[in-house]
Amino acid sequence: MTKARLTSIGLGVAAAALALLAAFVITSLVLLAAGDPVGDVWGQLLAWPEMRNWANIINNASVLYLSALAVAVGFRMNLFNIGVDGQYRVAAFTAAVVAGEAWLPGYLNTALAIVCAMAVGAIWAGIAGLLRAARGVSEVISTIMLNFIATGLVAYLLRQVSVREEGSNEIGTREIPEGSRIGGIPFGDYEIYGFIVIAAIAGFAFWFVLNRTRFGFDLRATGRSTTAAVASGIDVRRMTVAALMISGAIAGLVGLPILFGDSYTYGSTFQSGLGFAGIAIALLGRNNPIGIAFGAVLFAYLDEQSNPLQILVGVSPDIVAITQGVIVLTVVISYELVRRYGVRLEQREVARVLASSRTDKPKEVSA
Amino acid sequence: MPTAAPPSAANAEVAVRLRGIGKRFPGVIANDDINIDVHRGTIHAIVGENGAGKSTLMKILYGVQPPDSGTIEINGEQVNLHSPADAIKAGVGMVFQHFMLADNLTVLENVVLGAERLHGIGAKARAEVMRISDAYGLGIQPDRLVEELGVGARQRVEILKVLYRGARIVILDEPTAVLVPQEVDELFGNLRGLKAEGLSVIFISHKLDEVLSVADEITVIRRGTTVQTVEPEGVTARQLAELMVGSELPSPSTEASTVTDQVLLRVRDLALPSDYASEGGRPLLDSVSFEIHRGEVLGIAGVEGNGQAELVESIMGMRPAATGLIELAGDDLSSRSTRQRREDGIGYIPEDRQRHGLLLDAPLWENRILGHQSRPPSVSHGLVDRRAARDDTQRIIREYDVRTPGPDVLARALSGGNQQKLIVGREMSGEPSLLIASHPTRGVDVGAQAAIWKHIKDARRNGLAVLLISADLDELIGLSDRIEVILRGRFVGSFDPAGVTPERLGSAMTGAGETA
Amino acid sequence: MRRTTKFAAVLAAGILALTACGSDSDGDSDAGSDDGNTAAPTSDVKVGMAYDVGGRGDQSFNDSAAAGLDQAKEEGLIAEAQESEAEDGEAESAREERLRTFADAGYDPIIAVGFAYAASVGKVAEEYPDIHFAIIDDSSLADVPNVASLVFAEEQGSFLVGAAAALKTESDHVGFVGGVETPLIQKFEAGYAAGVKAVNPDVKIDVKYLTQVPDFSGFADPAKGKTAAQGMYDNGADIVYHAAGGSGGGVFEAASEAGAKAIGVDSDQYNTADPSVKDVIMTSMLKNVNVAVYEYLKQVSGGTFPSGVTTYDLAVDGVGYSTSGGFIDDITDQLDEYKQQIIDGEITVPDKP
Repeated sequence: MTKARLTSIGLGVAAAALALLAAFVITSLVLLAAGDPVGDVWGQLLAWPEMRNWANIINNASVLYLSALAVAVGFRMNLFNIGVDGQYRVAAFTAAVVAGEAWLPGYLNTALAIVCAMAVGAIWAGIAGLLRAARGVSEVISTIMLNFIATGLVAYLLRQVSVREEGSNEIGTREIPEGSRIGGIPFGDYEIYGFIVIAAIAGFAFWFVLNRTRFGFDLRATGRSTTAAVASGIDVRRMTVAALMISGAIAGLVGLPILFGDSYTYGSTFQSGLGFAGIAIALLGRNNPIGIAFGAVLFAYLDEQSNPLQILVGVSPDIVAITQGVIVLTVVISYELVRRYGVRLEQREVARVLASSRTDKPKEVSA
Repeated sequence: MPTAAPPSAANAEVAVRLRGIGKRFPGVIANDDINIDVHRGTIHAIVGENGAGKSTLMKILYGVQPPDSGTIEINGEQVNLHSPADAIKAGVGMVFQHFMLADNLTVLENVVLGAERLHGIGAKARAEVMRISDAYGLGIQPDRLVEELGVGARQRVEILKVLYRGARIVILDEPTAVLVPQEVDELFGNLRGLKAEGLSVIFISHKLDEVLSVADEITVIRRGTTVQTVEPEGVTARQLAELMVGSELPSPSTEASTVTDQVLLRVRDLALPSDYASEGGRPLLDSVSFEIHRGEVLGIAGVEGNGQAELVESIMGMRPAATGLIELAGDDLSSRSTRQRREDGIGYIPEDRQRHGLLLDAPLWENRILGHQSRPPSVSHGLVDRRAARDDTQRIIREYDVRTPGPDVLARALSGGNQQKLIVGREMSGEPSLLIASHPTRGVDVGAQAAIWKHIKDARRNGLAVLLISADLDELIGLSDRIEVILRGRFVGSFDPAGVTPERLGSAMTGAGETA
Repeated sequence: MRRTTKFAAVLAAGILALTACGSDSDGDSDAGSDDGNTAAPTSDVKVGMAYDVGGRGDQSFNDSAAAGLDQAKEEGLIAEAQESEAEDGEAESAREERLRTFADAGYDPIIAVGFAYAASVGKVAEEYPDIHFAIIDDSSLADVPNVASLVFAEEQGSFLVGAAAALKTESDHVGFVGGVETPLIQKFEAGYAAGVKAVNPDVKIDVKYLTQVPDFSGFADPAKGKTAAQGMYDNGADIVYHAAGGSGGGVFEAASEAGAKAIGVDSDQYNTADPSVKDVIMTSMLKNVNVAVYEYLKQVSGGTFPSGVTTYDLAVDGVGYSTSGGFIDDITDQLDEYKQQIIDGEITVPDKP
């Protein structure tokens, strides 16, 4: 590992630590202003979770991880896929229907459902990509609108296919047969989603494709400078569509750990809002698969630890939403500060080399 | 090194006295023991290579950075400049190389913007603007929109802005870089007008002929320190340049012709409609036809914005609206993408290296891959070979003398000249058959300039065809085998570099040549 | 990067703004337990109340449940109550953890307000067989011994207000505004339609749902409610029944502007709605969640933990209609006749449209 790389990792860790510290201070001030017991709140939030809570944290983190990964693909190309939320709902619904119908046996059924979910997510995001490439429509606007359309579409289709258990007011898709569910991985006395393996594979694939392939290079180059990308021969329109489709395909996986590991059906209480959390976590993790993993665990940890706040401390868990929002802000600010510091550091290094290389070969000529 | 006392003009009062100015950044000395006297009513040029410390010095004088050591005296009084506001208060004004004007405001509005408290924004301000304009012969039309103005006129607006704020000492950073020869003459006329009114002008440049023609005194800076202050009468451009680099210089002059009879690039009736064609906009390119042979350098001369960029981008396949025939070694390129054209052997040094040539926030080795994503050694079978890319970047760093600690540094951290050397090195790798070079040495120091010229000439000897676009007429004349002048999207004249002067080219570029 | 920075600022501002809207509820969250200290506790029952999204203060379903809790506390039936509310779109595990936190902290019984808790109650009840649970609006856990299911015959109450609407309409045209299209709200619609048709099969009924699952904002968007109702009044309807929670306020406004009538839901809204619109509220369909909660707690304090399904229907006055304002005094006889027929089984009210 080179010195430059060590420096950059060191700076990254410093930036995150700085941001979290700032968020801690700001949240404490908010608590003080609201007259809430600051010590009790942190006591609850920072208490070491029990194994059961850890299992929940890891489960939620794996879901958030996929969501942030999907957002990060777009971010790497300077595209803002706000539509992960809609994409994962359309995709999870599709997967639930396909798996529920069980046209294929056992895990073939599972695989088919996952492929369908990714395809549907990719197509849904691809619409925004095509609009951007062909008509220059901002992907921010189109993905937001597609979120609304997704909500309506899924609600409509859900009513068409829904089955309802006797006595329940819930509606949902047909339950996935036992043979097609993804079993949990033992974790102490509890279990974590087996799907976490797929999330890890997705994280590795993300890293590999972006950093080791020509396609990934083109994608990152386009994100860093569209003009330079065009001049280098990259077809930016095609990359736009491709990047959004990949983002959508990953978004298609977001709801699946829950679907195959917990609920086995897509219904009215299926977790929502995951796409927006993903945006915050992608920022927090600097679009890096390892960083995102930390960010996802942090957000899941805060969500889990905040749940009993109302019951045990008498403080609204909304305080954690404030903390999360503040973390996003402080993170972005501190990353930018540290980035500038890093560039300055490097410029000095370059100047130093330049200065010393000149004195290496002194050539003096008098006029 | 002893600083010679200025031989003449010594009787004039000293407007700015810099003594022992030093500025260190960790590990680097940017300025060290700078001593300069700028006399009232004179034009004082400061010359030096890029990175010699000129801009640090000017930032110190304009209050952007404080010096670590040394003193600044203005009109005999020692001052501490903590901000540009302090500098303006002390009567120091600066005209930057990149204009800071709002296009959609009038000249008057631009001048008054940010200085409303001086003379208000009404009739008083207008009267003051006209008074200054008349006093120094700036010929300002206060109600024109800035977007309608040419480059020279914009520069005069910038100068007026500085004077309006009460500057008696005016710093100009590379003011001629954006001007054609005729405009340069006008600028020099204006500067002489300022001088006559008792103002002091500090003029930063690396165009030594211009410096010699306009300056009263010239201070050379090298490696952060003042080497010598000379009077223009006593030195030649060559001696000045040698003072700047501290060694003997190459020249851009071509050697024996290497032009072959094989046509490499053939362009026929290339046309590009205006983006506003439906509103009657004039075409950006209009029936442009030319050929370049192997081993030939075709130079394109023209005032910026006359279709050079569009010509280059059309040949590179970045302008889908372009019509006409483009053939490379007999193959029609019209249906090929930019990437395919690059794979076919076109190297491309873009005009704006930071926007089109580099990923500033990526390390050098990734920049090495840019534009070569489909070719070895950096990429094979769709996978990036980091080791090979790093190794090949090391080769470029070595062969093209890119001053950097290594290939992992971000491109942003390099100076402009080193960035450009990296680009040239990259575009020359893979042995291109055609090199499109837009302003290959713009903003590059003398040493790097010479190196880039040498690489282009070497490749030309090996049969490389070059399309060279440059605003530096000496460079065009020195490197080209033939020069075409482009005006409003059309080729308007062909010149043999052996028999043409910059003045004649300049006339043709502005359209005056058509009647001459 | 610069674009990212800008975007993050907007995002964070949005998060803060959202939480600012939501956080006013936290002041109320422990109000219940404070009040509990004023009455001398004669019981050692500690109640955990897990509300649905909106919680105490939603002027609707959750509030109705809270009223039952408050009543029980005032009467000293319970010693202590602690409350917690759901977040919009939260994970299943969050609901489970809420129940477990109550259970671990010694609360027994734990009341889950709303059918969204069905799966989590089912799971947690199994983990804590010695703790007692109650769930409102769900009967899918009828067989679990430590769960009491409290459900309502909303279609029966809706039938009666439907009949009232049909008797009172002058244009032979009425409307129904549902908050979110769920099976639960469809019960209201089905009963209402049946009641209208029972009186006069020729009366036209406009039906509109404000949002679709999983978008539950239809229960808290008065602007949407107003627009929907306005459309119906413009279209010729003169009475509109809403089952849209907080969005109902908009329905009343629209009625007031159109000079027409509306029918409230859940509680007697003539008494709770804004005074400026109360005169348009002809009647309200009463769904006495407060009664169900109170009755349940009363039994608990008496030492018996009920289990199985308890249906609150017309027969036990779990649902009904209100007469405040005196707008329907002339037809109460007819309505009571229908009520008796339903209780007697002569009329079976459908629960699906």
